[in-house]
Amino acid sequence: MTDTILSVRNLCTEFTVESGTVRVLDGVSFDVPKGKTLGIVGESGCGKSVTAASIMRLLPQPHGKIVSGEILYDGKNLATLSKEDMYKVRGDKISMIFQEPMTALNPVHTVGRQICEVYELHRPDYDKDKRKQKAIRMLEKVGIPEPAKRFDEYPHQLSGGMRQRVMIAIALACEPDILIADEPTTALDVTIQAQILDLMKKLQDDNGMSIIFITHDLGVVAEMCDEVVVMYAGRAAEQADVFKLFENPSHPYTHGLLSSIPKLDSQPRTQLPTIPGSVPSLLNMPSGCRFQNRCDFATDQCQQTPEQTLIASDHKVFCWQWQTLNQKRAEA
Amino acid sequence: MTDQAINQTAPAAKAKREFFSPLTLKKLRRFRAIRRGYVSFLILAGLLLFSLFAELFINNRALLVKYEGKLYFPTYSDVYVGTEFGLDYQYETNYRDLQAKFAAEGGDNFVIMPLVPWNAYEQDFIEGSFPPYPPSMEREHYLGTDAIGRDVLARLVYGFRVAMTFAITTVAVSMTIGVIFGCMMGYYGGWVDLVGQRLIEIMTVVPFLYIIMVVANILQPSVWVLALIYILFGWMASTWYMRSMTYKERARDYVMAAKSIGVSNRRIIISHILPNTMVMIVTMVPFFMVAAIGALTSLDYLGFGVKPPTPSLGELLKQGKAHLDSPWIVSSAIAATTLILVLVQFIGEAIREAFDPKRYTKYE
Repeated sequence: MTDTILSVRNLCTEFTVESGTVRVLDGVSFDVPKGKTLGIVGESGCGKSVTAASIMRLLPQPHGKIVSGEILYDGKNLATLSKEDMYKVRGDKISMIFQEPMTALNPVHTVGRQICEVYELHRPDYDKDKRKQKAIRMLEKVGIPEPAKRFDEYPHQLSGGMRQRVMIAIALACEPDILIADEPTTALDVTIQAQILDLMKKLQDDNGMSIIFITHDLGVVAEMCDEVVVMYAGRAAEQADVFKLFENPSHPYTHGLLSSIPKLDSQPRTQLPTIPGSVPSLLNMPSGCRFQNRCDFATDQCQQTPEQTLIASDHKVFCWQWQTLNQKRAEA
Repeated sequence: MTDQAINQTAPAAKAKREFFSPLTLKKLRRFRAIRRGYVSFLILAGLLLFSLFAELFINNRALLVKYEGKLYFPTYSDVYVGTEFGLDYQYETNYRDLQAKFAAEGGDNFVIMPLVPWNAYEQDFIEGSFPPYPPSMEREHYLGTDAIGRDVLARLVYGFRVAMTFAITTVAVSMTIGVIFGCMMGYYGGWVDLVGQRLIEIMTVVPFLYIIMVVANILQPSVWVLALIYILFGWMASTWYMRSMTYKERARDYVMAAKSIGVSNRRIIISHILPNTMVMIVTMVPFFMVAAIGALTSLDYLGFGVKPPTPSLGELLKQGKAHLDSPWIVSSAIAATTLILVLVQFIGEAIREAFDPKRYTKYE
């Protein structure tokens, strides 16, 4: 496995709601490879975005809280870093882009000012002209035509794709080590989506940053990512190299996900394969493996929380029954 | 693009950049287009400017005195005693008499008096009759005098100045406090919000009028003491609006995005949320000013206001009511008060209309 730049260890995040405390993340562990893209996939509500928010320490206050676990970056534990130190990390070392470019820009400030703000915060030695020059350079880098003119425009004057480019320019202004992209293309139409993905890849090649790419679109994962973490109900189910994962899914949930993608050679007008059952409520999780009630391979052993098993050096799975699954697939 | 090329294009873009955002400019244009409000604004601004320099127009000190070849400008200078101009007294010169004296003597000496040669405090007594005196061009009481012989016009203008100072100060200070509190409550939520809400509720139910009465009975309050009390019990007015607006803005994505680039909470409130909620604050200002002027006037009217002999509209109204047989007092006071309140109200309505976002977007 390649160098790790950020490593999440046993992360537990809880939310206080009216009916009690909900453990949204329960022992999530994964590593972000340096200079590569890590995809986090999973269905809605599995904790992808909460993972991202936990890394950025942007959990909604006062409800959300990291209760245990470590987020190791550059010798520091982000989970326990002071508020002031966290201000310095955000935007400079770790940045984030959001799903909705239409609302993630402040409507009353010009695009240029919003990029310059990053420099104001993290590069105090830059004077006004230098900030402006850098900001225009960033706009140009993310492929915005006439960057000097766009600098003075307001978000409402830009299209959705342009705004997402501006968001990327803001996020990458200080050349961070890690970019967290929380479904950055979900709100865009497909052609723009491809452009934005290309742009992100290109900028990654230029800067050598790592990307944490959160999505529920396995197609985008195959396109973008070097490694993938599959999450289910607040836990990591499997982490693997993207090719290994698609070739050799070793968690029954991953297997189920991949087999429910419609294929060109599947029989027309038949039902698509699905994973039976539904995700248990966060308030009422079964003990042990959280997938057991939907899993074809569940045994008594699954009453215990599965441990991390290394299948290969770049393939980890959190399942007791992965060998059974692989055997069965080999037979089929 | 090279650095140089960027440097070249940047100034060109800079030239276009205005101080206000295009949206704000649009609102200002719209405000100017609403004739009634804009004209009211110009009139009120003119009146305010005039009242700030009222000493030049309505004053018992001369604008210019020429005596023995020397020029004197008493308006803003130290007091010139009578002996300075060859008179036989050691207190401040009566320039009206001096003017009459120089005119009678002939010669080079002269006095130029302001348009209204009375100030708001001095009493005029005509031998053989008692004030109030009706309007008279001859004695230059253009709106007459009040019950103890003070010039009504002078009292109105200086009273207007006092009222506007009071209104602007209290609105500015109480809005600042209210905005800070409202933002904090809306942004931080939780116990800050809870404690803030209770505090404001308690403050709101304290009977403001009784407090004023008690204070007025202990000490005759100056304008500033009144303003202080008014701020103390009036800052809550804008907190609720600010709180709910901030609550709404806080949940928007751009706040999260700002946090994700490392913006601190304080900076988010000041430079990201406030500009987005500013519209409402601006819209409310004129209406709060109407309220402040109204409050001061009614307190003065009831006799709990500024300590006499501070010129005030409310005090003039009170006198007018006591001397209904001298209608010039009550009519001027009512006309002036109404004019001011109507002007401010018109401005407020125009601002509200100009800033109304519904005007930009309409759905069938």
